[in-house]
Amino acid sequence: MTISSLALSPEQLHQALQRSRQRSTRRWRLFVSTPGRIAASVVIVAFTLMAIVGPYLYPKNLPIDTRNIYAGPSLAHPLGTDFEGTDVLALLVTGSRYVLFAAAIAAVITFGTGTVAGLTAGYYPRLAGSSIMRVADFVLAVPGLPVLIVLLTIWQFGSPLAMGFVMGIFGWGGIARAVRAQTLSLRERGFVEAARGLGLPGRRIIFTELLPNLAPYIGMNLMLALPAFIYTEVGLFFLGVVPYTTSNWGVMLNNAVFQAGALTSTRALSYLLSPLICILLITISLVTLANAVDEFFNPRLRRI
Amino acid sequence: MNLARKLAAKLVTGLVMIWVVATATFFLVLEMPGNPALTQEANDMQHGMSPQQAQAATAAMFGFVPKQPFPDQYRHYLWQLLHFNLGVSIAEEGTPVSHIVASAAPWTVILASFGIVFSFLIGVTLGILTAIRRTTRLSDGLTLLGAIINGVPVFVIAILLSFVFATVWAIFPQGGTVSVLETPGWNAGYIGSIIIHAILPVACYTLAGLGAWQLTSKSSVITVLGDDFILAAELRGLRPRTVARYVARNAMLPLFTILAISFGLMFSGAVFIEDVFNYPGLGQLLVNSINNKDFPVLDGAFLLIIVAVILANILADLAYPLIDPRIRRS
Amino acid sequence: MAAGAKAAQSQPAQSQPAQSRTGEHLEGSAAVRVRDLTVAFRTPEGLLPAISGVSIDLARGQITGLVGESGSGKSTLALTLLNAVPDPGQVTSGSVTVDGIGDVLALQGKNLRRVRGASIGYVFQASQNSLNPLKPVGKQLLDLARSHGVGDLRGLVREARSLLDDMGMNAERVLASYQHELSGGMRQRVGIAFALVLNAHVVILDEPTTALDMLTQSSVLEIIKKVHARRHLTTLIISHDLAVIGDLADRVAVMYAGRIVEDGPTQQVLASPRHPYTRGLLTAMPRIAGDIGEARSLPGRPPDLSSIPRAGCVFRPRCPLATEACAAAEPPVTVTGEHLFACFVAAKDLS
Repeated sequence: MTISSLALSPEQLHQALQRSRQRSTRRWRLFVSTPGRIAASVVIVAFTLMAIVGPYLYPKNLPIDTRNIYAGPSLAHPLGTDFEGTDVLALLVTGSRYVLFAAAIAAVITFGTGTVAGLTAGYYPRLAGSSIMRVADFVLAVPGLPVLIVLLTIWQFGSPLAMGFVMGIFGWGGIARAVRAQTLSLRERGFVEAARGLGLPGRRIIFTELLPNLAPYIGMNLMLALPAFIYTEVGLFFLGVVPYTTSNWGVMLNNAVFQAGALTSTRALSYLLSPLICILLITISLVTLANAVDEFFNPRLRRI
Repeated sequence: MNLARKLAAKLVTGLVMIWVVATATFFLVLEMPGNPALTQEANDMQHGMSPQQAQAATAAMFGFVPKQPFPDQYRHYLWQLLHFNLGVSIAEEGTPVSHIVASAAPWTVILASFGIVFSFLIGVTLGILTAIRRTTRLSDGLTLLGAIINGVPVFVIAILLSFVFATVWAIFPQGGTVSVLETPGWNAGYIGSIIIHAILPVACYTLAGLGAWQLTSKSSVITVLGDDFILAAELRGLRPRTVARYVARNAMLPLFTILAISFGLMFSGAVFIEDVFNYPGLGQLLVNSINNKDFPVLDGAFLLIIVAVILANILADLAYPLIDPRIRRS
Repeated sequence: MAAGAKAAQSQPAQSQPAQSRTGEHLEGSAAVRVRDLTVAFRTPEGLLPAISGVSIDLARGQITGLVGESGSGKSTLALTLLNAVPDPGQVTSGSVTVDGIGDVLALQGKNLRRVRGASIGYVFQASQNSLNPLKPVGKQLLDLARSHGVGDLRGLVREARSLLDDMGMNAERVLASYQHELSGGMRQRVGIAFALVLNAHVVILDEPTTALDMLTQSSVLEIIKKVHARRHLTTLIISHDLAVIGDLADRVAVMYAGRIVEDGPTQQVLASPRHPYTRGLLTAMPRIAGDIGEARSLPGRPPDLSSIPRAGCVFRPRCPLATEACAAAEPPVTVTGEHLFACFVAAKDLS
């Protein structure tokens, strides 16, 4: 029960809740009715399942078939084969776990750190605000990729956990800024002042009043940040600067472009395009869903 | 004056950041596996140099002498930096890093600048269009398209563009800065070849940055259109053109801060674009130097990039009060 | 955007036809005559009226006050007088006739633009940012002048300067300032100056004293009185504050849920309110020289667009005097001299 609902009488509260529930149901129906959004949700769920369950469907070491390298799509290999004759579909599925897992870790770290930093800076602007923001600005200003490349010289962060960690550490600047801005503006709103007037401790206000209002905003940014993390890690592997133990999508791209010369001939086309299309699908789906979340929660964007 | 003090503070912060990065890079080199400086020195001595000569050579290469006491190393390093001496390359024996970096930088900067300009122009135009015609299907479609392009990674764009326009339809060359068949100089063939080779990379930069400009300008315009003073302007009977000018100048404000960020992103993009299109810019330098274990060059390129980004941010911070009078005094 | 549009002839769906409030009870000599105005908004629940069958006169040379809680439709009414109903709203019936201009709702494009500012002035609340934050006030004044084709720019600036000086401000300094450098009271006064500088003869002030401190409130009210008298304006003041209306207005109209429930000379309405809503508003105000416990607030809250009762008197859910007749139909307008109201019970009391 938030402060903002205390101003009404019980009957009015009941009526208001009923009306808001009706409105929410209507909006939810609008939300899910667009075929694009349904497709997007299906895609995301499918890839998540692929990442979690997929690798179990294949043996640890994928079979090599040196007589069948860079084959095109066929019944046995729906997406063709790679430079050793391994099935591309198998590579995709087993590689998805790394990609999505590292992105998830990065997201958790980025959003954890960023939200905490932003909330603190926004809620206690005089105590902590400017110093936190200066650090955030620094993290934000530093161009991510070159830093990661240089960092690789002393720490080969090949494992998904390490990769996610590193990406997260350098990515929280933007979120901290955005959350702080939102916190600053929400802080001046009536219900926060009321809560403070009631003597509620700062931490409690942050959790019960501010966070629920920030949640959709954070959620939307999360969905938009995941493609960025996927891009960073796949990109690093693509450049060939990170050592790898298991195949993942970035490695596939690296092999396709620099070993198979997929850019100079139409050979190994499916090998090149498969990871690309997966990345595109995930990106498009997440963007569509983020758009939908934004429309759902942001009254200014609603079409009616 | 309060404003001058604030700007001075920002300048100082920027310089401090540069110093932090330089120091971090210093420690980075020490941490690198096998302490390349020591290795180099050992190598030199193996090749017959006397210890003093080896020390001097290594000092020239890395900017500090490995076995000196710590603070001395550090001081030497900083001193060299202030004189723009970034050491000497390992891979290309004896070539000063500053030369290597300086010859690579223009390729990156020129290409990326064109990319930023084009993506700004196209992106903002689309953004304004989608903001004004907000309720139409076209606007929704364009917005979604912009959001998608925004999310697609740079290297995907680079690979796709290269594949489609250089391999499948061989309109543009595969890579490189200029055709080897042309003689260098101010002749039409040479310049024309440079331009043709630059088209695909610039297109990559443009597409990569387009989405952000479009989406931000759209939301900015929508926000400003809903502001009270726009309604007030219309209720006072101001001409539509004047109202449009009011909207434009107010909507452009947040775009300015994005300009600074996009400068930093350009270097991230450069790494991929130059890799795919074989352009000898700073991005390719970074990747090659780490693969060749040419640490002084890696250091030098990295330092240059960071300093450039920090300087750009400082400039943006300094310039912002000029365009937003609300920040001028307080 | 607030582009004027010809009144759409569609009827609002799902609500009963508005009672004939074609304003036959009003004369035809007022400076601004609103007749049977209905403005509806497109919502997910259909076309809902924000103003329903409203007729009101703004008498020439008089200050008319419009009182109502938030959601009563008073701001929408004010915007409609300038044919500036925002999307997704539209005028579905009625007319707004202004002396010397005709039906404002029939104007479009350049004609409408010229009327705005030059014939009818609108003053925003002080808390709103009614000026471009990036331009100095003086430059915006010039923009205003050029948009209206004013030839003598220097003359206009002189006029503006004298207006500002008259209102107790340093005109030089104000014209050179940006909006954020001005206090709330100063912004309000600049807003008034902008509304008058082109010699408009009708001025609408939307909540002129809300968000101002008491001292500034009183000085702004004095300025409004002075300016109104000196320029022989026809003024409409919108406020939720009965005290402000009581101080300034010659006539007052009370709005509730998009209808005018009472309308009459201020002294009469305040001394002997007929409509239960007006009575409730007056009872809710604590008197300075009285026990605060005597003030009793109205139970419940005003309805929003979707919860306005679709049949019967719109005030019925909160009315202490509601009868069965009130549920059946909307009450017609009862006229007693210059005082009119719309209430079954009050009408019966009268007779």
